[in-house]
Amino acid sequence: MSTETATPDREERGFVDRLRASPFLTELLSNRLAIFGLSLILLITVMGVGTRLAVFVGVLDFGQLLDTQFAQQQYYPPCGDATLTGWLSSLGSCQHFFGTDAQRRDVFLRTMYGAWLALKYGTVTVAASTVLGVGLGTVAAYYGGWIDNVIMRTMDVLLSFPSLLLALAVVAVFGTGLWKAVFALTLVYTPRFARVVRGAALKVLEDEYVEATVALGARDWRVIVRHVLPNSLAPITVQSTLNFGLAIIDLAALSFLGFGATAGTPSWGWMLTKGVENGLINGLWWMSFFPGLFLALTVLGFNLLGDGMRDALDPRMQDAVD
Amino acid sequence: MISKRYIFKRLLLLVPVLFGVATLVFSILHLSPGNPATVVAGQQASAEEIRQVEQRLGLNDPVWVQYGRFMLDAVQLNLGESWVIRKGEPVTSVLRWKFPITLELAVLGQIAGIMFGIPIGIVSAIKQDTITDHLSRVGALSGISIPIFWSGPLVILLFSVSLGWFPTSGRLTQRAYEGGAPQTTGALLVDSLLEGNIIMFIDAAWHLFLPAMVIGIYSMALISRMMRSSMLEVVRQDYIRTAHAKGQGRKITLLKHGLRNALIPVVTVIGIQFGSLLGGAVLTETVFNIRGIGMLLVDAITDGDYPIIQGTVLLFALVFTMVNLIVDLTYSYLDPRIEQ
Repeated sequence: MSTETATPDREERGFVDRLRASPFLTELLSNRLAIFGLSLILLITVMGVGTRLAVFVGVLDFGQLLDTQFAQQQYYPPCGDATLTGWLSSLGSCQHFFGTDAQRRDVFLRTMYGAWLALKYGTVTVAASTVLGVGLGTVAAYYGGWIDNVIMRTMDVLLSFPSLLLALAVVAVFGTGLWKAVFALTLVYTPRFARVVRGAALKVLEDEYVEATVALGARDWRVIVRHVLPNSLAPITVQSTLNFGLAIIDLAALSFLGFGATAGTPSWGWMLTKGVENGLINGLWWMSFFPGLFLALTVLGFNLLGDGMRDALDPRMQDAVD
Repeated sequence: MISKRYIFKRLLLLVPVLFGVATLVFSILHLSPGNPATVVAGQQASAEEIRQVEQRLGLNDPVWVQYGRFMLDAVQLNLGESWVIRKGEPVTSVLRWKFPITLELAVLGQIAGIMFGIPIGIVSAIKQDTITDHLSRVGALSGISIPIFWSGPLVILLFSVSLGWFPTSGRLTQRAYEGGAPQTTGALLVDSLLEGNIIMFIDAAWHLFLPAMVIGIYSMALISRMMRSSMLEVVRQDYIRTAHAKGQGRKITLLKHGLRNALIPVVTVIGIQFGSLLGGAVLTETVFNIRGIGMLLVDAITDGDYPIIQGTVLLFALVFTMVNLIVDLTYSYLDPRIEQ
């Protein structure tokens, strides 16, 4: 009896009401680590978007971030003092909060701008692979047969490479640059989404109400858009969140290996690489330390949130999301 | 036991995947812009020389002929010759000596990950929701979040430069060793032991310590996470309650009955992330200047040495696929229900 009354009732309620009543959100919001992760992400977003806006309205000079007019080895340590204690004691009167790099560019400003770049390229990578993966996964699950076989075997082939290796292979073909790195990583992540979505979609398609909808004469796209997608939303969201962290780290890794961002770009991966090259060993720690720290914090934020989301889902879903 | 039929089925499923992998590797060369012959012949080559190289490499044949030739050669483990890095040397022989270096590093990293990951996971599960548990969980997530190319240089700065405990890079202290190093397997630790050269063994281990630790942090994080959740899952089972009800102490029950069953999914994680460990080796090798297969690939991409790129990528995919197969088989051996 109870199920009979509950189902139409759920249909009538609005999206916000349903979301508010969902055990998923309640569970997630009670997870302190996930909330911490979310705060980290928000902080980084405010940082990145704020800096971008500041450049946009002209408060910050983009030239200041990219300027290479100064000769090598003209650098300032954070607040003019290379030791940690000296830095902390002179925080009040500070010209370069995080010091400058070897070309006398302010590391603080560049790190802030790096947040914008990480979020921008990360979002594009994750959005592209989500859309592609969801499309392929749903089509494979819905139509089955040879279509399913062709799609999923292709995904299997892509999944048989370690992710960074496949990205490097793509870079070897199409050349280097941040947008090409984004393209490479999209290709690497798409199969994971396709697999997760296909699994979730198959589960939904088994449900009797879907059969009923089909029996009532619903078209393919209606079944997919109205029933399959909304019910596979949870695993897709978790996978996207976890992949966001991965995308940021992998983009930086490609830059580190010399195949991503190009000289002058204030991306965390590139700053890290140049900072290490320009004298981490000689004690010029600040050039690479701060970009790396923010990179790690951002990725940690996404991992904490994604992990919390995964825990908040039905525990059986844990197998579906890797 | 695993049935022979299941193994056969899994091996059969591997054929189309490997076929696809080889096709993808073939297309690496043919999708890339520019004439490969100019890379081989050199920048200053005359048109005649380039034409000769094209002839020799069969670049003028139709693509499907080249494809067939590539597939036939690949099956016979003939991956062509290096164009730039080791000009003229067969790719397989280059890989033969580079791969053990990377494998040694990855295996050591894996061992470090298991040694720390499993105990941390167990403690975390036993002390669920205490400060110990929270710390180890955040620690594990940080381990996954910190990029190797950041932790690596920092570790070098701290332990090698400031404290001077470990070397900053390389595989051995004296260059003399490199020339005279025994070449039995290619893995220094194994070779030095085979030769009975204890000093070299210690030296190699001393060089490998930091890279192995850095690469091990990642697998430690994954293993401890899986160990924790799997242990928590097992603790809720009836047989644990039964053992406990019989009067057995909590810790003994957990370790004697719980651990054995909780290890099954951990085995899977250990296997699956060995692949990403190989990927991480590319970064670790670059950070610590270890000239293994990872650095070889990076150099090959920079120099446009396509046969080397193809060979390396193919090798990584083969190892990755094989490890995954072994993991699946082990898993169904440990838990026969999987086959159905």
